[in-house]
Amino acid sequence: MSGYHDIGGLPAGPIPRVELPFQHWEKQAEAIRNLLGDGSRRLVSLDEIRRGFESFGLDKYQAYSFYRRRLEAMIDTLQSKGLLTREEFERELAKVQRRWTGDPCLRP
Amino acid sequence: MDRRPVPPAITPPATARPFGPRFDIGDLVRVIDLRKPGHVRTPDYVIGHLGEVIQRCGLFLNPEDLSVGITHGPVVALYRVRFPMAELWGGPARHPRDTLCIELYDHWLEPVDKVTR
Repeated sequence: MSGYHDIGGLPAGPIPRVELPFQHWEKQAEAIRNLLGDGSRRLVSLDEIRRGFESFGLDKYQAYSFYRRRLEAMIDTLQSKGLLTREEFERELAKVQRRWTGDPCLRP
Repeated sequence: MDRRPVPPAITPPATARPFGPRFDIGDLVRVIDLRKPGHVRTPDYVIGHLGEVIQRCGLFLNPEDLSVGITHGPVVALYRVRFPMAELWGGPARHPRDTLCIELYDHWLEPVDKVTR
């Protein structure tokens, strides 16, 4: 019995042939993921992240983009391993959001 | 505080009989259904199908182990396996010469005798 992600060969209609350029945050998230999984750390492997988004539920899987799935599963894995607490994560997130909204030069 | 665990050393395969990959280029193999829960790299659509080993890709940590945080091995052989499209999807292929090549780990494959298949 394969999971909801294992859809190769199932009917899915036409493939949208649209180029999706790399977003900056996607590159940052992948860079962090690479550092967490490299040979000197081996803290979080790509396969752990894959297991995460293959089991975090179909609703999330369908709602998130390719890199958002990886990011969410990476955060889940870091928390489940105790490498990052929910509080630390929320605190850093709030800090970055304040920087983002507070400084007019950094606004999008 | 440094919370980084020390990565353990990678060990060779536990079943290191004559060391090296079980299959050779040109061998026919069938993909077996291991019915493993959790993360696997073998997609459903190749299971049960007959293919040909076209490349030995080397020895790698098993992604099924890595997915649950086991990073010290053992390593398993990875092969590139070629399937005719008609073998995978049934019926007459629209492009009969098209093939699908996919990397599969050793433990998902069983040997197929070229004479008796």
